[in-house]
Amino acid sequence: MTPGYQILSLDELEPAPYHAREGEKLLAVERALDYRATGVNGWLGDAGEILVPEHEEEDGDEELYVVVRGRATFTVDGADVAAPAGTLVFVLPGERRTAVSEEPGTIVLAIGSTPGKPHEPAGWTHWVVADALRREGRVEDGREAIAEMLEAHGGAWHAPYNAACYEALAGDADRAFEHLGRAVRMSGDEARRHAADDPDLQPLRGDPRWQDVVG
Amino acid sequence: MNVAHVDELDRIEMDDGFVWRPIRRRFGIRAFGVNAYTASEAGGQIVESHTENQLDHEEIYLVLRGRARFRIGEDEHELGQGQLVFVRDPSLRRGAVAVDADTVVLALGGKPGQAFEVSAWEAMFAAVPYARAEQWPEAIRIHEEALAEQPDHPALLYNLACMEARGGRYLDALLHLQRAVELEPKWAEYAATDSDFAAIHDEPGFPTA
Repeated sequence: MTPGYQILSLDELEPAPYHAREGEKLLAVERALDYRATGVNGWLGDAGEILVPEHEEEDGDEELYVVVRGRATFTVDGADVAAPAGTLVFVLPGERRTAVSEEPGTIVLAIGSTPGKPHEPAGWTHWVVADALRREGRVEDGREAIAEMLEAHGGAWHAPYNAACYEALAGDADRAFEHLGRAVRMSGDEARRHAADDPDLQPLRGDPRWQDVVG
Repeated sequence: MNVAHVDELDRIEMDDGFVWRPIRRRFGIRAFGVNAYTASEAGGQIVESHTENQLDHEEIYLVLRGRARFRIGEDEHELGQGQLVFVRDPSLRRGAVAVDADTVVLALGGKPGQAFEVSAWEAMFAAVPYARAEQWPEAIRIHEEALAEQPDHPALLYNLACMEARGGRYLDALLHLQRAVELEPKWAEYAATDSDFAAIHDEPGFPTA
């Protein structure tokens, strides 16, 4: 990195499959740049693969999707839109959206934030990268990504919570409970509510410490 | 949902040669600043040479199509489709020229830790075609809309006064110029030699430097 600025090619980023599903390969731009002014990430897909996971923005984010390369079909609240390279798709928070790649190597950039609120990077992209590395068997590389997340976003409860998910899936219950306990102390009921039905934490549920930490 | 292709965006040619293609205004985005830029020809300016000292924005410039040669501080980088430069340091001077005639650069900016506010320059840029065509009521309307959100923005008030003076609304021009100078005294120096104010320069109450 050169002080003051950074050059990045989207092709240089290692795609991180999201939650082990087909397609949905994240290009963690925000993480690579440590960009903090707004949320910005990319999605890469081959023909027929899901590019953008189906979702609404429950936290109120406005999102702009930019087709950087290739061609995609967006579906927003049931309406399909053909989107060749150069297309901009602006979606409001309550609109349910997804996108499928129509050509190999299609890249969509997603930019999002909540109006009237400073952007708070939650670090979820670190977790996605870490989890993809874990599934490839690169557990220690994944832990490095988790450590980066805790360093960069340790002030938000999501960071230790996601670290707990990672360690639970990696089979390290001690580390998982350490992080989960911290997340609960930071957020109280919010982390407990998420933990109650989070499949990532399933490996911890039979452990006697679960009741103490999550209740 | 709102959809557009970059080639369908408005084309606002600026004096420095670059062409502003407004995205945020087109979609009414309230959460972040985003725009596209094109050039009039190969070799032409596509990103104006500027710093972000005033707004303190971190900016990302992504080449969406074609190639652009960026100058960041003293360094030069030629970037193609899918390559970006993130200028973290607001004080670094940055600009770019288009290598290919149909190059498109996407610019994304904001200040970390602060909620996004629409930048005043957007209204000034948007009013340029109307000012060139001497369509003063439309140029004035664009400034008034921006001032409704940022009523004490000195540069917007000054620009509005310029448009009003050119459009024959002399009293409004004088009042808005006075307010701009009250908020930022340096505007009195600019007003002294600004030809936009020729019609009101000798009016009582015209600010003096």
